[in-house]
Amino acid sequence: MSRRRWFFHVVIRSLAHRKGGTLLLVTVLAMASSLVTSLGIVSFSMEKKVAEEIRRYGANLVIVADSAGVEVGSGGMNFGRVAESAYLDQGQVQRALLQEPAAGRDLSFHLRGALKLWGDTVAVDGVVFPQIRRLSPWWRIQGTWPDANGALIGSDLALRRSIKPGDALSLSGPAGGMVVRVTGIVSTGGEADRLVFLDLLALQKALGLQGQLTAVKILAAATGEDLRRLAGNLQKLLGGAQVKEVRQVAATSESLLKKVQLLMLLVAAVVVTACGASVAATMSSSVLERGREIGLIKAMGASRRAVLLLFTAESVLLGIIGGVAGYGAGYAIALLVTKTVFATAAEFLPAFFPAAVVVSCFLALVGSTGPLIAVYRLDPVRSLRGE
Amino acid sequence: MPVESGTCIIETAGLTKRYGDICALAPLDLQVSEGEWLTVMGHSGSGKSTLLNLLGGLDRPTAGRLLVGGEDLLAFSEDHLARFRREAVGIIFQQHHLIPYLTALENVMMAQYFHSVPDQAEARQALERVGLGKRLANRPGELSGGEQQRVCIARAIINSPKLLLGDELTGNLDHKSTRLVMELLKELHEEEHFTLVLVTHNQEVAGWGGRTLFMDDGKLVKDLRHERKGDDPS
Repeated sequence: MSRRRWFFHVVIRSLAHRKGGTLLLVTVLAMASSLVTSLGIVSFSMEKKVAEEIRRYGANLVIVADSAGVEVGSGGMNFGRVAESAYLDQGQVQRALLQEPAAGRDLSFHLRGALKLWGDTVAVDGVVFPQIRRLSPWWRIQGTWPDANGALIGSDLALRRSIKPGDALSLSGPAGGMVVRVTGIVSTGGEADRLVFLDLLALQKALGLQGQLTAVKILAAATGEDLRRLAGNLQKLLGGAQVKEVRQVAATSESLLKKVQLLMLLVAAVVVTACGASVAATMSSSVLERGREIGLIKAMGASRRAVLLLFTAESVLLGIIGGVAGYGAGYAIALLVTKTVFATAAEFLPAFFPAAVVVSCFLALVGSTGPLIAVYRLDPVRSLRGE
Repeated sequence: MPVESGTCIIETAGLTKRYGDICALAPLDLQVSEGEWLTVMGHSGSGKSTLLNLLGGLDRPTAGRLLVGGEDLLAFSEDHLARFRREAVGIIFQQHHLIPYLTALENVMMAQYFHSVPDQAEARQALERVGLGKRLANRPGELSGGEQQRVCIARAIINSPKLLLGDELTGNLDHKSTRLVMELLKELHEEEHFTLVLVTHNQEVAGWGGRTLFMDDGKLVKDLRHERKGDDPS
C-alpha cells in the first residue's frame, strides 16, 4: 500500500471510529458554512431583486439643456420640473456619452414639443422606440410597440380623444406635418399618459429642430458615489447642459439593502466565531482523549511534523465534509427564505460551493490551531503514562 | 542507525535524569553489548523505566553521556531523535498501547508507515510469526491481553530494530501467557540477534536473560551476569 493511500486510510478510520465527535464537528462546521452560504445566496438574490425593482423606477440620470423645461419622473413618480425651454445638441450628447462608457446603453433621447391634432394642441414626445422600451419596462402597452412610422398614445389622452390602436393621426407642426398610425396605448400612471409618443426624427423634422433634444434619460449601472462621479464627468463634457441625479427612492432602497447586508454579515461573523470556539473545544477534548495514541505514534518514531500532518488532515477532511453538507443545507435555507420572505426563487450560485468549503476548512483549521500546537508539543513519555 | 556487529551497542557515562529536585536516575555508567539480553529489575520508582525511556530516545537525560550504536543521543534534535526511534528501536509496552480503531494487521503496518512503506504481506508474516495469523482482522478490543501483547511484539520487531525495549511487558499477563510471550521473545532474539532490554518486577522474567541489573532509588545496586534459564524457566 502506498504511503499516501495508507495515510488517508488511517485518517478515515480514525474519524469513523470517533463517530460522536466526528458528527458533532461536522454538524458545527456545516452549521457555519450553511449560514454563510444561505446568507450569501439570500444577499445576492436580494441585491438582484432590489436591482430589478430599482430598474423599474427608470432613469437615474437626466440631461437637460440649461434652461430646458422638462418634467423629470418615471414609474408614476414626478420629481419636478427641471428648467425652461432650450435644446441639447444631439451630436454633442452622443460624443459625450461615447467618452463615458459607464453611462451604458440604457438611455433614451427625448424631444418634447407640441403639435396640432384635429385643430387642438397636444403635447408630444419624440423618442427612439427601442430605447424607451428598454428603459421603461414597467410601461403597460395595449396594442404593440410602434416602429418609426407609428405612434403610442398615453391612456388619458386616448380616452379623452377616443383614440384606439389602428387609428391614423394627422399631426402638424411649424415645419411640417405627418400622418402616423397608432399601434398602442400606453399606461404609466404618470405624465406619459397625457402624451403622444412619436419617432424622434419625424418630430425633429415636424418641429424644425433637427439634431435637437430636450432631454436624455440614462439608466446607468452605477450607484452612490459612482453615479455622482459619472454625473460630474458628463457635466464637464456638456457645458450648456445640466446633468442631474433622479434616484431618491432608489438610493433609499440601496441604502436599506446595504444595512441589511451589513446586519447579515455581522450575524454570520458572530455565528462563525461561535462555531470556531465550539470546534476548538471539541478538538481540544479529542486531543486530550487521544493523548496516549499521540504518545504512541511519537514513540514509534513519527516526527512532530508527521503527527501534525495526520491531525491537520483530519481537520481538513472534517472541514470538507462540513462544507459540502453546509452548502446543501445553506442552499435549502436560502430557497426557503427567498420564497417565503421575497416571494422569489433563490439564485443557484455554484460559486458559493467553494466558498462554503473554504469557510468550513478555515474554521476547522483555526479551531484546531490550539489543539494542534498541543499535539506538536506533546511529550510521548508523559502521554503514554496518561498524564 | 550505524550499529557495528560485536560491539558495545549501549554506553552510558554519568547518565542522570532529574525531575526538579527528584533524582529519577543517579549517574549511571553502563555498557551493553550487541545482541545481549539485559533485564532491569527494581521496585516502583527505582528508575528502571526512566532508564528505558532514555535508552529508547523517548526522554532526554539531565546530564551524562548516552551512546546508542555509537551515536550520542544528547546531540540529537527532536526530529533526529524521532528518526532514531523509528529506525533503531522497537518498544513493547505493558499496556500494549495499540491503536483502537485499527486491526491487528493495521497496527503493525502503522509502524511500517512511519519507518518506510506499509507492506501488508510483511506485516501479515510478522503476525503469523507471533502466532496471530488468524487474528489479523481483529481490533485490539477483540483480542485477549496475551494476544494484544503479541501484536505489540510484532509491531516492535517489524522494522528489524537493533534495540528492543520492553517495559513490564508481562505485567498484565497471567503465568501461561507470560511464558508464551517469553518463549516467543527468546525465539525472536535468537533469530534476529537484536539487543533486548526488559524492565520488570518479575523474577521469572529476569531468568530468561543473561544479565540482570538491580536498581533502587534511581541507583544501580547490582549488575549480575547469570546463566540463561530460557530453556526451562519454570
